[in-house]
Amino acid sequence: MPSLHIILTTSFIITLVILISPVFTSILYKSLNRNWHTHHIKTAVKMAFFTSLLPLFLHHHTGTELTITNLHWMNIMTFDINTSFKLDHLSITFVPIALYVTWAILEFASWYMKSDPNINQFFKFLLIFLIAMVTLVTANNMFQLFIGWEGVGIMSFLLIGWWWARADANTAALQAVLYKGVGDVGLIFTLGWMATNLNSWEMQQMYITAKSLDMNAPLIGLILAATGKSAQFGLHPWLPSAMEGPTPVSALLHSSTMVVAGIFLLVRLSPLMQDNPFALTTCLILGALTTLFTTICALTQNDIKKIIAFSTSSQSGLMMVTIGLNQPYLAFLHICTHAFFKAMLFLCSGVIIHALNNEQDIRKMGGLLYLIPTTTSCLTIGSLALMGTPFLAGFFSKDAIIEALNNSYLNAWALALTLLATSLTAAYSLRMIFFVNMNFPRFPALSPINENIKSITNPLKRLAWGTILAGDLMTCAVLPPKPPMLSMPPYIKLTALVITILGLTIALELALFTNKQRPYMPKQYFYFSTMLGYYPTIMHRFFPYTFLKLSQTIGTMTIDQTWLEKTGPKTITSLNLSLATTTSNIQKGMMKTFLSLFFTTLMIIILLNYY
Amino acid sequence: MNPYLLIVLLTSLGLGTALTLSSTHWLLAWLGLEVGTLAILPLMAQRHHPRATEAATKYFIVQATAAATLLFAAFNNAWLQGHSDIQHMSHPLFTSMITLALLLKLGLAPMHTWMPQVIQGVSLNTGLIVSTWQKIAPFILLLQIKQIHPPLLTIIGLASILIGGWGGLNQTQLRKILAYSSIAHLGWILLILQHSTALATYALLIYIFMTSATFITLKKCKATTINMLTTTWTKAPTITLVAPLMLLSLGGLPPLSGFAPKWFILQELTQLNFIPHASIAAMAALLSLSYYLRLSYSITLSLSPNNLPECLQWRVNYPISTPLSSALPAALALTLFLLPLTPSALTLII
Repeated sequence: MPSLHIILTTSFIITLVILISPVFTSILYKSLNRNWHTHHIKTAVKMAFFTSLLPLFLHHHTGTELTITNLHWMNIMTFDINTSFKLDHLSITFVPIALYVTWAILEFASWYMKSDPNINQFFKFLLIFLIAMVTLVTANNMFQLFIGWEGVGIMSFLLIGWWWARADANTAALQAVLYKGVGDVGLIFTLGWMATNLNSWEMQQMYITAKSLDMNAPLIGLILAATGKSAQFGLHPWLPSAMEGPTPVSALLHSSTMVVAGIFLLVRLSPLMQDNPFALTTCLILGALTTLFTTICALTQNDIKKIIAFSTSSQSGLMMVTIGLNQPYLAFLHICTHAFFKAMLFLCSGVIIHALNNEQDIRKMGGLLYLIPTTTSCLTIGSLALMGTPFLAGFFSKDAIIEALNNSYLNAWALALTLLATSLTAAYSLRMIFFVNMNFPRFPALSPINENIKSITNPLKRLAWGTILAGDLMTCAVLPPKPPMLSMPPYIKLTALVITILGLTIALELALFTNKQRPYMPKQYFYFSTMLGYYPTIMHRFFPYTFLKLSQTIGTMTIDQTWLEKTGPKTITSLNLSLATTTSNIQKGMMKTFLSLFFTTLMIIILLNYY
Repeated sequence: MNPYLLIVLLTSLGLGTALTLSSTHWLLAWLGLEVGTLAILPLMAQRHHPRATEAATKYFIVQATAAATLLFAAFNNAWLQGHSDIQHMSHPLFTSMITLALLLKLGLAPMHTWMPQVIQGVSLNTGLIVSTWQKIAPFILLLQIKQIHPPLLTIIGLASILIGGWGGLNQTQLRKILAYSSIAHLGWILLILQHSTALATYALLIYIFMTSATFITLKKCKATTINMLTTTWTKAPTITLVAPLMLLSLGGLPPLSGFAPKWFILQELTQLNFIPHASIAAMAALLSLSYYLRLSYSITLSLSPNNLPECLQWRVNYPISTPLSSALPAALALTLFLLPLTPSALTLII
């Protein structure tokens, strides 16, 4: 088709315009009626989704990818900064998925946040976040990507601290900003390195000119950025703390879109990484460590949102492992499928929380299978997809990753950790389902349980369809760029499945113990998991204390005390005072004093005379 | 005091110094010094209270010790050398002994401890004489002795300046403050003595003018402690106006005449490359300046807490006329305005 590129370009621009327009109307119109959020924003996202399907289908049909460069923004001699959008496979696939998930979440949020007086502002924040995310994903140069990066960071801060009167929410928002800031240092370092060494921030130019250079330094910067944004081990505590925000925020930001921004950055810049074994090994080990560590932490959590948060962190570690395996396409596939079921899990948890009158502790839930069947069915579907049940969405990406891991000649330790984490994923998912759905209710009798509302069931159903079908659709539509290993022994092929079933079985067996008296097991074994590996305890106390103490030492003691008290004015004062007192205290009125001084001086002079 | 007695004593005082100034033989010099000492003793003890008696006794013992040492060293030198000329002494040991004796007479560190006690014990007029007139004779003798060990004079000079500074900081009695100030000024004089006698003489002269002005001012105010200075504004407002300038001249601030000796001494020392001496002397002058500032603060710059009606001058037509009060304008003028005349003054002395 000769005008394919025009259609693609135009539909993408229309998508963007549809997304941006509610922001402008909210500025122009002073008073917004109560239903503005539903009428404008949710509708805008829905329309944008349908509009973005057009580029998706065109891309799947013809394989078209294009880059739109609009505006020559600024230049410093030969260094140009433009606004350009790259619509390649990654962004064309991701944008509709993000819009679909956001549409479901916004519809859910119109019920969840109904009693909030600032609901219009909430939706506007979510929309601005979405725009920033789209900017990040479609960026063709690092500058635009950085704009999107910082945009999602700021919106995450605002949205986590939505209930800002709550002290925990404020500290959680601050924690998010600080940890991501550490990652941003890496990103800015990489930006600087690329500006000075590669002379461009455009992706195409970077891919070509980086072939011959030693890319260790910028890649470490990128990995640091991904560690901060995607909550890898070392900069991970902000993600469980971010559950202080409302459930739609957790669903959108901290499950589907924002935590994958770091991984997306690495996927986007994977041509730079594919020849650098150091960076790849770093990713591999970091990801394996993250996935196992957070899975262990998730095993003993009692807050339903925290379980899902840790599972997000664990899946993001898995994505990092995939990048370390030099399989960016599989990581991207996992990003897309993960978005569906994780958002659905969060939405289900939101329904449960509201239904039980803001109860988030799974030890106080139970038997909800009979009371809110749609929600719990979706919870089960989401958990099964998370575990990698065959032919649900998670299977296509997760199983492919485990196969690639098993067939590679890389680090066996990373492999072992990842397999262990996979089985433990099944365990904590089962624990969550067991406590929430099964057995008898443990909550007070008069709970406002109601799911007969269209705003709840429609998003859940849409996301459930997505969870079931997305993996299949995506795998069938596009051939993977790297050919996967197709022949392997059966035990390798079935590893993921066997491990998952093993974890599931053991967890089921353990679940039978809950209503029987067993000898009491000492809690010492659980402390590592319940204290989140002691990481927040150590890090959040040690570093602030050290820096504050150091600054106090430098500021008050080294500068003020030293210069003003010990060497400056106060010393002179005290010194002179003591000398003055000594001098005037010699006079006691005795003649002995001056006579003896005279004779002593005389003797000294006489003695000195003979030398 | 009986006026006949007063005339005899004052004449003897003048005679003693004149004898010393005009002598070339050590015996005559010693004689002049002794006459001066004996003449001032009744002046010091004229009040007959224990403080004055004690001051007189101490003064006599100090001066006698110094004179005895002087005589002993002079005779030894005469025996070894064959003559008793003041200006041709060559034996280093006895030169040093004589120097030390003269420094004890002048009241320089480390032999200064008698000065504050003596000057505190006597009245302000007698203190004036002790501080100014009695310094002339030993100073002239010091000028004439050649070949004094240079470090001796330097160390004693610097020590005097420092001790004069530190000692005065802790005092509230005005006479003691002036004693320490005299120690400090004599330290300055001693510092430059071996390098330029003209400057030393000029410094002594300016010191005499300044100290005289101060003593006479204090006599007029009848103040002997700092607290008594605070009512000066009621008794003599003109003095209240001028006193800070006078005290700052003692401290050595331009454009007052007390600045000239310090300035030239520092210049001379610097030209001769005695930088550490000059630095220490200059910084130690700040110590003295601090207590002069305290005095000027009490006189002029502060008012004790009182209410509005008391701010008026409440002693009117107070006849303040002491014998020395006619000398005050002259002394004050010399204290304040002599700086522009320094070059011609120096040529007079050289």
